[in-house]
Amino acid sequence: MSRIDTQECTLEQIAATLVDVDIDGALQETAASAFPGTRAAFMRRSLGTIATAGVGGLFVGDAVAARKAMTRNDIALLRFDLVLEYLQSAFYTEAERLGKISPKTRAWVRVVGAHERSHVRALKGLLGAKAVARPAFNFRGVTSNQASFIKTAVAFEDLTAALLKWQAPRFDSRPIVAAALTLHSVEARHAASIRYLVGLKPATSAFDAPRSQRQMARLIARTRFVTSRPQVARNERPRFTG
Amino acid sequence: MRELGSKWGAPERSTRSVVMRRAAAGGSAILAGGALLALPATGGSAPSRSLDKRIFGFALQVEYLQAAFYTAAVEGGALRGEVLEFAETVADHERQHVEFFRRTLGSAAGAEPQFDFGRRTASKRAFLDAALRLENSGVAAYNGQAANLTKKSLSAIASIVSVEGRHAAWVNAIAGRQPAPRAADPGATAKVVAKRLERLGFVG
Repeated sequence: MSRIDTQECTLEQIAATLVDVDIDGALQETAASAFPGTRAAFMRRSLGTIATAGVGGLFVGDAVAARKAMTRNDIALLRFDLVLEYLQSAFYTEAERLGKISPKTRAWVRVVGAHERSHVRALKGLLGAKAVARPAFNFRGVTSNQASFIKTAVAFEDLTAALLKWQAPRFDSRPIVAAALTLHSVEARHAASIRYLVGLKPATSAFDAPRSQRQMARLIARTRFVTSRPQVARNERPRFTG
Repeated sequence: MRELGSKWGAPERSTRSVVMRRAAAGGSAILAGGALLALPATGGSAPSRSLDKRIFGFALQVEYLQAAFYTAAVEGGALRGEVLEFAETVADHERQHVEFFRRTLGSAAGAEPQFDFGRRTASKRAFLDAALRLENSGVAAYNGQAANLTKKSLSAIASIVSVEGRHAAWVNAIAGRQPAPRAADPGATAKVVAKRLERLGFVG
């Protein structure tokens, strides 16, 4: 078991390590250009009908019903999630293919990578024509180095759970809330399991703190893993970019 | 009028007065029997403060059970090493969750039921098996109610459910199981959660 730290790692410490993951420091992309934030004020339009049970909605084939209930605000939030899931799935797929990480870590990556790829499919299905295209990524060697891979994976999982937590009360549509929450606890499970794998405490507090989309965008921008701006898929009108 | 008895205080569609009466009954919730009527997952009554209260009342019962179980397991002295560390950490978290719901519910908070954990805390194996069920049920319980909550309550619950997810992954890992068995954690209705927990036989 490779220990990266004998002390407890807080989210703050981990978030800070994301910045160190890259070395060469050029080409600082601004968060705003990579990830347009959502509007400060959320639309609170009443929805005509809230169709069918939303629990597990992303995966039980009621994407059409859920899509009908989505507001522009919901779409903006989900588009951000999609970019994040693209990033995670590409990160794990690359690490698995390169095979430079430990066998135990690789076994973890195989499971979690499959989850993230399925989250991508689910979000793309939900967003339909509103989906953003997959950006290009450059992980700058992190996927082929055990120590930096672990640091980054722990950070990704903790932060993704924290972001989904921040988003949860900001969704308008109840089926979307239900569906997003089914992903949220899985990201928390991923975070706990990678922590367990490397000897960090899986659960450090009784209440997990949220992380805003703006903070997430800033952190991701600093890694410079995203090398091209996510392109908007067909039929997209600018006002949906939030 | 539907059967009111519910040992878990599972949220159901009922009038405010019924809810208040049941909340007032407090400890009598441990009485056996009674239908556990769950909310429709979504599409039922719109989120409201009174619905939040019913859901929180249900969550409190689940947290009481978890907190008491881990506390008993730690005090029982049968656990060692990483299993003990897990039990101690989780006992502390679950007690904090209980406190949160009691504080939030105020006078509407139900009393703690009496539990009998039998031999479930007497060995590592029995403990892990029960802990697996408790934590996975906790995640399903919260995810099942998320869409029924007002935004303010949802924020609070979201901070708790991911911790339950971490506990679940942790105990799965200790037990040599897949920490995250699925790409999505489906929610379960209060009725289903109550049934799963009853099967453990901890409540009279």
